[in-house]
Amino acid sequence: MGAEASKSKPDIGHQVLVCRGTGCESQKANLIYSNLQDEVRKHGLTGLVEVKFTGCHGLCQMGPTVVIMPAGTFYCNVQPEDVSEIVEADLMNGGHVERLLFVDPKSKEKVFDYRDMKFFNPQRRIVLRNCGFVNPEDIDDYISVGGYEGIRKALRMSQVDVINEVKKSGLRGRGGGGFPTGMKWEFCHRSPGDQKYLICNADEGDPGAFMDRAVLEGDPHSVLEGMMIAGYAIGATKAYIYCRAEYPMAYERSLIAIEQATDRGYLGKNIFDSGFDFEIKLKLGAGAFVCGEETALMASIEGKRGMPNPRPPFPAVKGLFGKPTNINNVETFANIPVVMTKGGDWFASVGTERSKGTKVFALAGKINYSGLVEIPMGTPLKEIIEEIGGGIPNKRKFKAAQTGGPSGGCIPASHFETPMDYENLTQIGSIMGSGGLIVTDETTCMVDMARFFLTFTQKESCGKCVPCRLGTKKMLEILQDICAGRANMRDFNQLMELAEDIKGGSLCGLGQTAPNPVLSTIRYFRDEYEAHIINRECPARVCVDLIKFEVNEENCKMCGACFKACPAEAVTWVKKQPAVIDKDKCIKCRSCILACKYHAID
Amino acid sequence: MPRLVIDDLQIEVPEGTKVIEAAERLGIMIPRFCYHKALGSAGACRMCAVKFIHGPFKGLQMSCMIDAQDGMVVSTTDEEAVAFRRQVIEWLMMNHPHDCPVCDEGGQCLLQDETVSGGHGLRRYPGRKRTYHDQYLGEFIAHEMNRCIHCYRCSRFYQDFAGYRDLGPMQIANRVYFGRFRDGPLESPFAGNLVDICPTGVYTDRSSRYKARRWDLQRVPFLCIHCSLGCSTVASARYREVVRIEARFNESVNGHFICDRGRFAYPYANLADRPRRARVDGEDASLAEAVRAASGRLDQISMNAGPDAVALVASDRCSLETLAVLKRISREKGWRHPAVFPRPDLEHKTRRAVSRLDRRLAVSMRELESADFILAVGIDPVHEAPMLALALRQAFREDAGIVVMDPRPVSAPFDFDHVAIAPAEIGGCLSRITEALSALQADSAAQGKETRRPEAAGPLRADLDSRIAGIVERLRGSRNPVIVCGTDIVRDSTPDRAADLARLLLQLKARPCLFFVLPGPNSFGAVLLAESPGRSFSDVVQDIEQGKVKALLVVESDPFKNFPDRERLERALDRLDLLAAMDYLPTSVVGRAHIVLPTCTVFECGGSFINQEGRVQRVEPVHEGGIPVHQVSGGGHPPRVFSHEVPGGEIEAAWRTALEVAGYTNARDNLSILKIMAEEHPGFARCRDIPTSRSFRVLPDAGDRPPVCEETGDRAAPEAADTLEVVLVDRFFGTEELSGYSPVIQNADSEPLVFLHVRDAEPLGIAHSDWISIALEGGGLEVRAGVSAQMAEGVLVIPRHRLLEWQKLGPVPAQIPFGRISRAGKE
Ligand SMILES: Cc1cc2nc3c(=O)[nH]c(=O)nc-3n(C[C@H](O)[C@H](O)[C@H](O)COP(=O)(O)O)c2cc1C
Ligand code: SF4
Ligand code: SF4
Ligand code: FES
Repeated sequence: MGAEASKSKPDIGHQVLVCRGTGCESQKANLIYSNLQDEVRKHGLTGLVEVKFTGCHGLCQMGPTVVIMPAGTFYCNVQPEDVSEIVEADLMNGGHVERLLFVDPKSKEKVFDYRDMKFFNPQRRIVLRNCGFVNPEDIDDYISVGGYEGIRKALRMSQVDVINEVKKSGLRGRGGGGFPTGMKWEFCHRSPGDQKYLICNADEGDPGAFMDRAVLEGDPHSVLEGMMIAGYAIGATKAYIYCRAEYPMAYERSLIAIEQATDRGYLGKNIFDSGFDFEIKLKLGAGAFVCGEETALMASIEGKRGMPNPRPPFPAVKGLFGKPTNINNVETFANIPVVMTKGGDWFASVGTERSKGTKVFALAGKINYSGLVEIPMGTPLKEIIEEIGGGIPNKRKFKAAQTGGPSGGCIPASHFETPMDYENLTQIGSIMGSGGLIVTDETTCMVDMARFFLTFTQKESCGKCVPCRLGTKKMLEILQDICAGRANMRDFNQLMELAEDIKGGSLCGLGQTAPNPVLSTIRYFRDEYEAHIINRECPARVCVDLIKFEVNEENCKMCGACFKACPAEAVTWVKKQPAVIDKDKCIKCRSCILACKYHAID
Repeated sequence: MPRLVIDDLQIEVPEGTKVIEAAERLGIMIPRFCYHKALGSAGACRMCAVKFIHGPFKGLQMSCMIDAQDGMVVSTTDEEAVAFRRQVIEWLMMNHPHDCPVCDEGGQCLLQDETVSGGHGLRRYPGRKRTYHDQYLGEFIAHEMNRCIHCYRCSRFYQDFAGYRDLGPMQIANRVYFGRFRDGPLESPFAGNLVDICPTGVYTDRSSRYKARRWDLQRVPFLCIHCSLGCSTVASARYREVVRIEARFNESVNGHFICDRGRFAYPYANLADRPRRARVDGEDASLAEAVRAASGRLDQISMNAGPDAVALVASDRCSLETLAVLKRISREKGWRHPAVFPRPDLEHKTRRAVSRLDRRLAVSMRELESADFILAVGIDPVHEAPMLALALRQAFREDAGIVVMDPRPVSAPFDFDHVAIAPAEIGGCLSRITEALSALQADSAAQGKETRRPEAAGPLRADLDSRIAGIVERLRGSRNPVIVCGTDIVRDSTPDRAADLARLLLQLKARPCLFFVLPGPNSFGAVLLAESPGRSFSDVVQDIEQGKVKALLVVESDPFKNFPDRERLERALDRLDLLAAMDYLPTSVVGRAHIVLPTCTVFECGGSFINQEGRVQRVEPVHEGGIPVHQVSGGGHPPRVFSHEVPGGEIEAAWRTALEVAGYTNARDNLSILKIMAEEHPGFARCRDIPTSRSFRVLPDAGDRPPVCEETGDRAAPEAADTLEVVLVDRFFGTEELSGYSPVIQNADSEPLVFLHVRDAEPLGIAHSDWISIALEGGGLEVRAGVSAQMAEGVLVIPRHRLLEWQKLGPVPAQIPFGRISRAGKE
């Protein structure tokens, strides 16, 4: 750590990095940024210190963040009022604003250099290599870190060699399916057609996922570069980025990036004097989950209702406007420039046998540090949760982690050590998905969680095919009945039958995977379902209709936490006596249950 | 050709055939909702799931999505497939209301059928059904969204197939709603097809609501006689009343669909004020008495003033039978041959078109769909031949280029290049195209000579040059071009010009390429039976005025509808010694006739018609005739009047009554009429041999050579800059005679507009939808103006609309001076 000693008046080359990703920006990062500029000017540091805004560092929970480089000082929860102090104490006097430093949750020690933080340390950043460090609205900043070298190199190679390099890298699609990217390009490359299209899928509809948003907000040029390389390899001259309208900042920054690249001549006719023409258009989606599905996405670009179409024909044969089309995810594209510059072999050296490279996860749920993390494929779940995420708050126990969002499944504690890669996750009944990672502890009801995801898919079904449109409705109603204590085992069996019919009979991935959260929670937490159905009890005390709202005197430690938490004054408690809940006053808000550390309320 | 096995039966089908289709050919009807032959597969309903046992696909798959391939073994009865399909039905029935007893679809409902056949009989779902608000979709179609099973057929038909945008799916998931953005009449003139294609009762025919179950109906394969295309329909009747028209699949004509005019025009046959009793001099009479009176008086006049003093008038809504009989009796009696066309030019153009059409040139509507370039001249497809517009759209969907050369503000459900020029210029353009094309074809000197005849066309505008050059290029570059030519607004020689171009294309491409649109359902038959050159009604009027004609027998024709000078017509008819009218419509002529002989509609007596491509189509009656039961019983049910005769049942087909009037009492049976027809035109001999469900074309192997002498007949283009050329036109609704009597259509019809170009309107201070008045010697006309930039300059487009007394204009001049058009004070 010893950064304190070496700190002195700033030299040239000092950078103040202000995160202006969506998370920090929503907490006045723009003000922090402009205040910093003012203060730096006021203190005569212009020219010595560069104030730069960047995309997301990943630790959104601690935002807004300000990082001082090269020291790596990481200020958390910065308010606009703190700026003058940072400039005074840190930049002018070489010290720190200690109260803003990150405190390690275990050792309780202040961390001076972000590289020493447990959150960042185990991460391996390929996709997010520039996020948090380059100014996303400045193409020169991207170029200064080696940007657009990948496309230059690719253009000197043959199309087939580029594809082979990507194949060698073992990169698989990060949009959820995990299809080998090189092979996908090859299909499209070989598909005959006068006009081919390339699409970047930035629809990102998984609830809670924001990997793609962070990349487009923090490093849009790397996506553009990846697209250029792909476009060259398959012979597509026109490309679209399909971005959901809920991502105005990603849209805006992509737009700026496209404009800048076009001004430079990196996009347009004859790019880099190679004779290759390439243009990228941005298309705003209205935010339907199903529009992330490739055929629906293409229909939407064409101006039609965003509904999936059966495959075959695959997009590589008959895609956008009926032409051969290659579609990849944002994160997939962001990997490509690195694959080109460092080589496929290098890329393949990261990760596991059949899952190469890294994966970005959006860590959320019952975890100390939620945010964006990028880890090498094969990192055990345990490491992600305990090291990077800082463990589970309130000393509660890990119960399961949900990956793949509404299409995925859960990883129970028994698989806590599972190395996270495509094969392992599939084997245990979940999927890698696009990178949602939701952590649950014993206060999470798995039936309720399944219900949550099914509510989402049921509402987001495009309404085209029957199993998904109506089958999920029926499933959801059974789940609601289970949660309300109205279901019997016949319903439970029907739930499973329905799940199979919907999986097998739906038209697109949305419906085919919608039952997954249910099936996977049944697989690992069948007892919880049975407790709901047979005992009319919710072990996690989440399903309100099944909670008695009675204090269990055996478990009660008479601490009074419930008494303090109750907003309705329904709890009476006298020191050294178990609390009592007045059911007439109780509004069933569960505040007491959340407050009780001893699971003493039934 | 892939060979596959379905339910242990082997079949070989053409490449690209879906498994569901292959099964159907074996007689195995795999359940389906979303799949429809015309609309293709959607994969939405999942009802067609079958089990693939061997071959490239395995397991449960949708048979509508998968192309038949070699080596496939498929089971439609596999337990897993049956169970899955039962599950699908159960899902669909979760939301479906149990309102079958009051639903018009009941009895013809695919959902009902498949619920029963799928074995879903017990409701397990206790939850709430999803419900919707219904919309007002206009006068034709009732909307009952709760019944929807979301097969997406309606939106795929409405938007993809037909090309209209105002109805479609909204919202997602279990809330998907099919309807319009807000209540209002559907914009598509093909919307009625929703009734046919919706597998449940979401869209039902308002005109026939609550009238009958399908099994109670007398249903007969039928024919539409509301334009010259002759689409196939199914007509249904109950209690002596026609209650419903549906589309009938016809491989070569209309495919699966029909237009709303064809569907909703039928109530003319049920009108309470239809002539049901014969009348002589204002007194009711029996049919026999009236026939005797007519016969006697006609003979009297023949004797006194010579047979030439008796003239017959018919129309192109008369069946071939009627026209043949009229021809026969007029010849044998020496009476004047029936005048079928209201105007000489219409008669001329139709005759030219028919004589130029031959077996190698004529394209059917279905063939038109596979054209890759279409040049349509002098035609506004939606209004003059609605289903043509739908056929053109199918060609457009397969990337065909379409050019429409027409002065009107043509709008159609497909993209096209509009060459908006005056009628006089069209012929010239065609000639120039033909010339340029044959010049490019340097080595074919022989036909070069033929097509390079002197041109009588008016001066062409310079800006047309590039467009003509473009058309020539596209014709040259296309594999399968088709020329579509109208006969209403074009000049006399234009059909010949179109045929010239088509002949050249035939030589170049060796494919049929000519499609005419004719004025009416039996115009083709009329000119085949006409003497040459035929007479039109205006000649007859002249002869009445000159005292040459003393008696007029008007058969299923209403001169008042088409004759441009109403007062003159009235004066002329007043001069007659005898005006006898045979009709099933309460026309003005029927109202003033000395003798009225009611006739049967085609629903009651059937008949044959020849469509614009020379296709003879014959249909049987739907019911036996007579006054509808509910009219006899005053709306009461069941009828309380009992008698041995059917009220109004003595009325007969026009041809039968006509034969009687002429004194042929022994030729009234069906065999005799077939004989008469064959004798009157050898082409009709085949009518005897073919069943009514089949059709045949009466076309020569090679058409007439173009007569050179008729070239000069064309009216020149307007010279004076201060006049507008009057173009009288037909509209989808409001101008066709029969549908004009249909109350449903009357309710749906919109106000007529008279169109003129913005640049013509501006100097007059006229804006779109302003009231204008047109003042002429014969009288004035107040009407709303439509102002458009998408039309030719120098023309005034006036619809022959029922609600517009264009006949008041008096003898409609070719040109109207600007000074006669002004903004009216009316708001
Ligand atoms: C319901 C559904 C939603 C999807 N949403 C997304 C999405 O938001 N982003 C994405 O990249 N891929 C999404 N996909 C996957 C895409 O269809 C497609 O496979 C992916 O974009 C391909 O890119 P990749 O090969 O780089 O993974 C979704 C698929 C389904 C079935
Ligand atoms: S599975 Fe769901 S989202 Fe996919 S097509 Fe069917 S209804 Fe639409
Ligand atoms: S309205 Fe009828 S045709 Fe349209 S989706 Fe519903 S059931 Fe199908
Ligand atoms: S008919 Fe095959 S899915 Fe509907």
